[in-house]
Amino acid sequence: MYGVKLEGIVKFYGAVKVVCEIDIDVQEKEFVVLVGPSGCGKTTTLRMIAGLEEITAGRLTINGRYMNNVAPKDRNVAMVFQNYALYPHLNVAKNMAFGLNIRKQPKEEIKLQIKEVSSMLGLTEYLDRRPSELSGGQRQRVAMGRAIVRQPSVFLFDEPLSNLDAKLRTQMRAEIKRLHKRLGATSIYVTHDQVEAMTLADRIVIMNDGRIEQVGTPMELFNSPANTFVASFLGAPPMNMVNAKVANGGDKLIAEFYGQKLSLPELPALQNSVGREIILGIRPELVRVADKTTPNQISVDVDLVETLGSEALVHATLGNKPFVIRTKTIGKYHSLDNLTGFTIDPNLISIFNAETGTALQGQAS
Amino acid sequence: MNKDTNSVLDKTEQLVTEGRIQRVGDHLKREWRLYVMLIPTIIWLLVFLYKPMYGLQVAFKDYSIFRGVAGSPWNGFEHFLALFNNDQFFRALRNTLIMSGYSLLFGFPLPIILALMFNEVLNKTFKKISQTIVYLPHFISSVIIASIVMTAFSPSAGIVNTIIGWFGIDPIYFLTKPEWFRPIFIGTGIWQEAGFQSIIFLAAIAGVSPTLYESAVVDGASRWQMIWKITLPSILPTILIMLIIRIGNILEISFEMVILLYQPATYETADVVNSFIFRQGILGGRYDFTAAAGLFNAVIAFILVMAANALSKRYSRISLW
Repeated sequence: MYGVKLEGIVKFYGAVKVVCEIDIDVQEKEFVVLVGPSGCGKTTTLRMIAGLEEITAGRLTINGRYMNNVAPKDRNVAMVFQNYALYPHLNVAKNMAFGLNIRKQPKEEIKLQIKEVSSMLGLTEYLDRRPSELSGGQRQRVAMGRAIVRQPSVFLFDEPLSNLDAKLRTQMRAEIKRLHKRLGATSIYVTHDQVEAMTLADRIVIMNDGRIEQVGTPMELFNSPANTFVASFLGAPPMNMVNAKVANGGDKLIAEFYGQKLSLPELPALQNSVGREIILGIRPELVRVADKTTPNQISVDVDLVETLGSEALVHATLGNKPFVIRTKTIGKYHSLDNLTGFTIDPNLISIFNAETGTALQGQAS
Repeated sequence: MNKDTNSVLDKTEQLVTEGRIQRVGDHLKREWRLYVMLIPTIIWLLVFLYKPMYGLQVAFKDYSIFRGVAGSPWNGFEHFLALFNNDQFFRALRNTLIMSGYSLLFGFPLPIILALMFNEVLNKTFKKISQTIVYLPHFISSVIIASIVMTAFSPSAGIVNTIIGWFGIDPIYFLTKPEWFRPIFIGTGIWQEAGFQSIIFLAAIAGVSPTLYESAVVDGASRWQMIWKITLPSILPTILIMLIIRIGNILEISFEMVILLYQPATYETADVVNSFIFRQGILGGRYDFTAAAGLFNAVIAFILVMAANALSKRYSRISLW
């Protein structure tokens, strides 16, 4: 059984439980991203896999081998750190060769590997430079090169792009994706950036308060969030949450909120639920903007329109709560006077239990 | 270049100068409190280090306390010639260099080793206790340290002679034997200062990013490899700067300890330049002659610190200036 398996992993710092019985099964060659807000336990989980943190309870296996008490060096993992962790006194070649030298690999073999990896990462001409003489992106590549030359069975990335500017981050994100395709190594990547998670992952693990909220492919999580946390974490801008009450609308159920009505999809979970409190999850990009003439619209009070070129963000309020619409039809609606609300296909709404925040059922489509 | 180009260049130069003056003015306006805080130190430097330099001229004069520094007649390099013909001075210079050399050889690496050892200690209580024990001698007066040394090496009741007595060895009069003075002096110096000097290296070690060690752990480095391949190279700039400063002070041997521990019987190995100056100048009243000795001392120290700085700059790109 190849890959990385975490079963009931728990981590305590003193009396504080920072990771609560998490189970993750990373398949061989899979790229799994642990994502969540600061302090959710994602980096601690990664460090436990690397062996840099002791596992309080649970079971960690890498490629089928029980690893809880195995030294980091014997886990055959390589880690790329947030601040690159390059040795400032060594040049690029020596930084990349560090792990191989420690393992006393033959000098010729090391040279060959450095040559191959540096060429793969476009670092050949920088081999003699020290880290202080490199740009942020080049340093990041050296850090990855140092991990790649080790030829580990698992790559661990701890927010490796967070120190780069937005443009470079986009470039490096694509490079990491390409490298993973090329090397096909099992990778576990930690980030708090949902865009990185969505673009890089084969599967995403969303964590919050030391617990796993949901595991799935990026589109599964985006389209069918398991709860309001996942729904509001993924997506920029995040999903709009509207508190509503289920009511009888004649032949079908409707949601009532702030004096307005919206048809609900026919879901088994909504049977016999008239009068029940629910939360409607409405993605900003799934609504259609409406003007005075549009029938059956949900009215909002438009506050501000941010034009982004190809699209625009409409910041509005719905019952005194913020409501954001993302639209590509801004040419017609750039005037605040024309924009009065929105319409949405009921099948595109996510519905959550108002008490527990868990999904009654995700989007129908 | 035509006239227009010259005029544009002149104007640019003028704008650059004006900009610079503006920046300095803004900086002073913003940071004037820092400059005010600097004033006491500058006054101290002027009064205690620069003003006494006026008295250096007595090294080139036939100085008389009755005629004063300005009134005493010049006599060129006579005192320097007398100094170079003085066997006692060369003996003192040789002793200074030997003792400083040994102090540097044994005393300089020890604080680094201590700092590395403290850094490896995981038990916080043990670390604090051991650090306090090794820092403590620094805060004890040299007179008391000298008394402790004299008591410890006393032939009648000293602990050292008691211990060697257990092995059937006759008591040794350590402090009256020239061959024992240097080891005792250097050992005492190390005991007194090594702990305190380790603080600066500990601070440098604390500045090394922990992720470098974590990365090395994942790569499979042992603690020993991490010390050699990460800690020591990372604190090398601090080590070199401290070494340059130490080399600059190589002739400034702790002469109060020498004076407290030596006696005529041990002058042969114990008399250093500063104790020679003290004896000749203060006790013997030869201010002009000892001013020449002191100046010679300072020139050698200056050359040494410049040379060490240049070497360090050339081979490690690290230097004081």
